[in-house]
Amino acid sequence: MTVVSPAPAPVPTPAATTTPAKGGGGLMSKPRGTVAMVIMFTLSVIWLFPLLWAVINSFREYAYTQAHGYLSFGGWTFDNYRQAWEQGQFGLHFKNSLIITAPAVLLTLFLASTVAFVLARFTFKFNLALLGFFLAANMLPPQALLIPVFRMFREVHLPLWMSDSGTLLNSFWALILVNVAFQLGFCAFVLSNYMKTIPREIYESAEIDGAGVWRQYWQLTLPLVRPALAALAVLEVTWIYNEFFWATVLVSRGDKFPITSALNNLRGQFFTDTNLVAAGSVMVALPVLIVFFVLQKQFVSGLTLGATKG
Amino acid sequence: MNRQQRPSLLVPPSALATAAASRRSFLRSAVLGGALLGSPALLAACGGDDSGGGGGGSTKTVKFGVNEAKDSGPAYQRMKGFADAYTKKSGVKVSANYVDHNTFQESINTYLQGSPDDVFAWFAGYRMQQFAEDGLLTDLSDLWPIDGMGDAFKEASTSSDGKQYLVPYDYYPWAVFYTKSLFDKNNWQPPTNYDDMVSLADEMKGKGIAPFAFGDKDGWPAMGTFDILNMRINGFDFHMSLLGGDEAWDSNEVKKVFETWRNLLPYHQEDPLGRTWQETATSLAKGEAGMMMFGTFIGDAIPDAIDDLDFFIYPQIDPSIPADSLDAPIDGFALASAGQNQDAGKEFLKFLGTAEAQDAANAAADAPMIAANENASQDSYSALQLKSAEVVGAAGHIAQFLDRDTDTDFASTVMIPSIQDFLKNPDDIDGLTKSIQEQKVSIFGS
Repeated sequence: MTVVSPAPAPVPTPAATTTPAKGGGGLMSKPRGTVAMVIMFTLSVIWLFPLLWAVINSFREYAYTQAHGYLSFGGWTFDNYRQAWEQGQFGLHFKNSLIITAPAVLLTLFLASTVAFVLARFTFKFNLALLGFFLAANMLPPQALLIPVFRMFREVHLPLWMSDSGTLLNSFWALILVNVAFQLGFCAFVLSNYMKTIPREIYESAEIDGAGVWRQYWQLTLPLVRPALAALAVLEVTWIYNEFFWATVLVSRGDKFPITSALNNLRGQFFTDTNLVAAGSVMVALPVLIVFFVLQKQFVSGLTLGATKG
Repeated sequence: MNRQQRPSLLVPPSALATAAASRRSFLRSAVLGGALLGSPALLAACGGDDSGGGGGGSTKTVKFGVNEAKDSGPAYQRMKGFADAYTKKSGVKVSANYVDHNTFQESINTYLQGSPDDVFAWFAGYRMQQFAEDGLLTDLSDLWPIDGMGDAFKEASTSSDGKQYLVPYDYYPWAVFYTKSLFDKNNWQPPTNYDDMVSLADEMKGKGIAPFAFGDKDGWPAMGTFDILNMRINGFDFHMSLLGGDEAWDSNEVKKVFETWRNLLPYHQEDPLGRTWQETATSLAKGEAGMMMFGTFIGDAIPDAIDDLDFFIYPQIDPSIPADSLDAPIDGFALASAGQNQDAGKEFLKFLGTAEAQDAANAAADAPMIAANENASQDSYSALQLKSAEVVGAAGHIAQFLDRDTDTDFASTVMIPSIQDFLKNPDDIDGLTKSIQEQKVSIFGS
């Protein structure tokens, strides 16, 4: 197994790769390729079917589908979208989501990059322990922390111009804080792994040139980890935007809910117009889908970022 | 793999130069971000300014927590009717907080312990008593007696310490609904006892009509059938103490309820667990089923059939027990003890209990609910509402519905799955009641 001789590995010529092996032994030979296609097609249909079903029915009238069943064809309308937007107060709640998501993502990335910089750049006794601590906290399910966080936030008093409840509860501050806290561990882990891949020599020469620690962080490290920051920003925007649990726990004023929690506004006490809810869900999912398709590359690299430790 | 590991090695010097250039733009956006974070506009946005006069106007504003989402329909309009009428009458601004019904209910614990509004909409019965016992509600006994509300309402507003914690505003009965057109066509009459009901059901079956429209996908609709069977077979008092946790669920009384239900199941639509109540109501409107045990809000799902709907109270089963009790959930307003403005809240509550306030709510929307105050005008009532008021007025006892008469956790984590298990497998009544009893002991502690 330990062949040391540097014999040149047989480099496959382009011709060799384009001609399929006769016995069908290639990785993607024709029959195998067909089987793979069929399997992948079936799987994607299974995954996409409920989504497409919801999208289709969001364009249909409730009265029609209720009378003729969902397997019928007809009753087309755009009215669900208009009604969902108005009845669900989507304008207001999209704004709330923006007020929560934008500062939370910026703050998370800033704080995580500072932590990661110190963890990657300096060697302390507690380096590993600190990273472990950050990660361990990240592993705790939010449900387990519900009561402590709720009680803590209730005890934090804010002036009335910051929160009309007088405490952290019922304010956007609470949601920004809690999202930052829960995302910090993951981001710090990813960024510190990424920063460890930056060669020490760069820092040595920077030090010789007289750059202080802050300058090494701000002017040297941050520009170099931009790909990681971009990937994380995309991931964090989708995660924080999709966050539902804390909003319903920490906020009890209907006009302060982010869009995900406000989707419930479309359900009545007893009666639920499922087509209307489908239209609302499509609208709520749209920003995430747009972010994903526009920044697909960062998204994928974000998921594998830090997967290999430097 | 190697490329992934050392991306920085691949950065050419020119890229470092552009990185420096874009560093400036990064800085700029960071400064922008910082400015955004610190800007007063955003700070104000984070705090909210619903109190209008700057949060300080304590005597001129009362906070009103409503369990309906804004613009969500008639129930919301009723609430807005209350708020507007009070502002008009007293000049006090009502700062209403509209939260959708299900979210409000699920987060009621954190709501009341956190920063609740002063006055909030809630339910009568056990669900109110739990919070009263925990000290989360303010004693309202000085508002009682309320002119126009009888003993049944007072009892429903009273907690275990004998004090009142609620001001009722409306209610709606659960009964057996049918379409007049179908009954007229076949010359059927509403049954008054068990035997009549079974022979009517047999006749419907003969015509290919499912006697009872039935669905329990939502989990709660079948509770209505359990309630009424228990009240008819074991009486109102047993029903209440069973739900209050004072009786055993594996007793012969409870088994008899499930046995009766099992005998009646062939008269109910098959596969109820795959059917939501809205689909169930639709099958009633379409004439696929003859009757349906439900609340008067059934019309929400079948608005076109409302004029054709009529109802009768569930027939007598045990001849020794009068068929005079029924489920009629009462909604009311309570005062949160953590509310910041107790005095203004009480003043508002005093108004909310009056016939005048309840007239204003009735006038604001077309909903099937009945005003709790009997002096409220009945001019705007539909035929169904008039009949509801009459039936409930004649009732000897009023229950609140299973999920309001018992512990919340017991209702949702024990009774919903248990009833659904029963509908899947109606033959193992001994095993079912034994399992309910074991879980009941762990929740109620006895």
